[in-house]
Amino acid sequence: MSEYVVLMEHITKTFPGVKALDDVQLHLKTGEVMALLGENGAGKSTLMKILSGVYTRDSGKMEIFGQDIVGDLNTKQAQDLGVAIIHQELNMCQHLTVANNMFLGRELIKNGRLDTKEMNRQAQEQLAKLGIMDLDPNATVGDLPVGRQQMVEIAKALLINAKVLIMDEPSSSLSNAEITEMFRIVHELKAMGTAIVYISHRLQELHNIVDSVTIMRDGKYITEGKFKDFTMEEIIANMVGREITNQFPRDQVARGKKILEIKNLNAGRMVRDVSFDLYEGEVLGFSGLVGAGRTETMRAIFGADVKESGEIILDGKKLTIRKPDDAIRQGIVLAPEDRKKEGLCTKLSIRDNIALPNLDLICNSTGKINKKIEDEMIEKGKNSLTIKMPGPDSQAGSLSGGNQQKVVVAKWLARESRVVIFDEPTRGIDVAAKVEIYQIINTLKKRGIGVIIVSSEMPEVMGISDRVIVMCNGKVTGEVDPRTVSEEEIMTYATQFGENAS
Amino acid sequence: MEKKNSFHKFMSIPGMASVLTAFVGVVILMIIFTFMNPNFISQRNLVPLSRSICPYLLVGIGQGIVCITGNIDLSIGSVLGMSAMISATLICNGVNPILALVITIIACLAVGVVNGVLVGKFKLPPFIGTLGTMTICRGLAEIVNGNYNTGDIGTSGMATAIRDIFYYGKVGFIYYGVIVSLIIWFVFNYIMNYTRTGRHIYAIGSNVDAARLSGVDVFKTTTVAYLISAFCSCIAGFITMAAAGMGSMQAGLSYEMYGVAAAVIGGISTLGGSGLLVGTIAGASVWAILQNGLTLANVPVAIRNIVIGVIVVACVLLDIMRRNGVKLGKKK
Repeated sequence: MSEYVVLMEHITKTFPGVKALDDVQLHLKTGEVMALLGENGAGKSTLMKILSGVYTRDSGKMEIFGQDIVGDLNTKQAQDLGVAIIHQELNMCQHLTVANNMFLGRELIKNGRLDTKEMNRQAQEQLAKLGIMDLDPNATVGDLPVGRQQMVEIAKALLINAKVLIMDEPSSSLSNAEITEMFRIVHELKAMGTAIVYISHRLQELHNIVDSVTIMRDGKYITEGKFKDFTMEEIIANMVGREITNQFPRDQVARGKKILEIKNLNAGRMVRDVSFDLYEGEVLGFSGLVGAGRTETMRAIFGADVKESGEIILDGKKLTIRKPDDAIRQGIVLAPEDRKKEGLCTKLSIRDNIALPNLDLICNSTGKINKKIEDEMIEKGKNSLTIKMPGPDSQAGSLSGGNQQKVVVAKWLARESRVVIFDEPTRGIDVAAKVEIYQIINTLKKRGIGVIIVSSEMPEVMGISDRVIVMCNGKVTGEVDPRTVSEEEIMTYATQFGENAS
Repeated sequence: MEKKNSFHKFMSIPGMASVLTAFVGVVILMIIFTFMNPNFISQRNLVPLSRSICPYLLVGIGQGIVCITGNIDLSIGSVLGMSAMISATLICNGVNPILALVITIIACLAVGVVNGVLVGKFKLPPFIGTLGTMTICRGLAEIVNGNYNTGDIGTSGMATAIRDIFYYGKVGFIYYGVIVSLIIWFVFNYIMNYTRTGRHIYAIGSNVDAARLSGVDVFKTTTVAYLISAFCSCIAGFITMAAAGMGSMQAGLSYEMYGVAAAVIGGISTLGGSGLLVGTIAGASVWAILQNGLTLANVPVAIRNIVIGVIVVACVLLDIMRRNGVKLGKKK
């Protein structure tokens, strides 16, 4: 038997019109954690779907535990061989219980009926192996926090005695505490001898767990090696194909007059007495733990959620914002956290998406759409933001994450907005596209637009903002200068539950 | 103390709260109708009322299970009509009644298979796929006796037995038809709650991709759901046929929607993945009680329809509001 548990060589895969994988190789050793890196669209997920039997390869050699895989592999066979995958989008039946999800497709039967007792027992045992003692196997999965659901997925994978576990962006929707918990479990698995392929865009977290790296770009294999032997710059350069000198470009702009003032905003339990100012030519960052109330604050300002009290003053004028429409007309816009669900109508064209909030500008008094103005608007957005797209009539959902985010920005830039709020603007976006988004943010700043960004990635908030406000438990707990502050200091503010904890 | 705990456990079963609400609704309706006309609560009214619940319960079971898979079955009413027409035509033409019923069941199950293939294999939107079979089956129901209703199925021993089993016969206060329906309910309730097939039905309704990637055969499971639905409609067709003693081409018109109503009032979500079959008993009862109670209260037919429609929408609205309330509360 070779030293590799998984050996893939010369793998190619073509989808209609696209060569997704071109002569790719991958070598995974027993008990190691390998980071599979590359930008979105580099082919990482496709490669892993081939390994787990979701897709079939066009050609190439594949060996799993020294066994040569001839012909096609289906999911069931892959599972029987001990390969399990945790997909990017959590794949759980939200209505079913923890144990039911773990045993889905391989339920235990006793005397012709489901052996619920035994399944619950084994589920509990499996969770205990991962050090999770306080999870009721009878709990409904949909009621659990995302981090917990992830644990259930991992436990499910282990139930089939997975010796190779593929984790596709497991951390993208987890809070810091949940990520720490997940890393602990990854270490545990490694100790049990499980080999893990770990896909992530959060390069900063890799050093915690990763032994080796394999880097891909544009469907091709680029390089591999020990993680220790690479610098972060080398990794990024290999992923992107060129040097990115500055991951967080921050342009200096002289701070101008006050644009926006929020006074004692209250909205539900997550927004308590929030006050802050925003000045022309600055990017204001919002940091804090997941669930600190940052998103809720922004939604309340934008009118997406109901406010209880508080004042919103824009350019010295007090605004009444009851619904998003009010905010948009008066120049406050929001690029929401979940692009696919809230930011875009993914089934509509790029054209329709950009035009949607601006139909008041495009239509004449009878409501007829003026194609000429619409075309100009889209052309302008496309050029100023360098959106890569087949044409304005292609589906918004078909674009890559970065380009989708640009479409969201384009729809707001078509009108004279004064304040642009970004909620997690780079979640799930690859390194190069991230930099482009930062540059767009810089451009806005130079145009005198006030920019607010909410981000859970500490390096991002610290790298791109001119001023950072930290929230905890629905309250503003600190304001810091990102150029001088340490991450620890921000964390201190972010965990300042203090007297409002109850 | 322990009692409270087990009650708590009972209520924490997902969907149980909706079911309980539906049963409370049944009781409230019964009280209201008794006030409007005291005859409502009399044995003379309630015993036949129990019998008229049966077809609604059967189509509610079928539609409910299809809804749990996240699909819909529009062919239910037509399959019911087909069942009544085919069985009655065969019996009138001298075929052994038992054999006639068997042939009818096979024909109806075939429709279930077709629905399963269209929706589960070729991925037709269930609304369109079953709209097609709905029209086809209504056509078959009409053509089978040359576009006429059938004559009387006669009074031969076996024909009488069929009338009795499905509609007229009773032991004590309980009609055989009620027993048949409850047995069918019991069997499918067992399948839904205690077998792998049932678990897979919930799973594909909850998240079809997750189910597929976990090794669930989505095609097979979808087909099983449509087969159950076709079977239930078929038995409901026998009941209708036995009650009339003949096959009517109009049998089962709109019953797919009565099925939706019974399922939804009973707390089954049309979006799939959740709901308990026990709720269909309450849902079907609400439906039958409304018809019966409003008639007893001398409400004109047109007004009756409006009232029933309003009540159904209000039921579902209440349920959704209650669920959203719970969700919001949890988030905070």
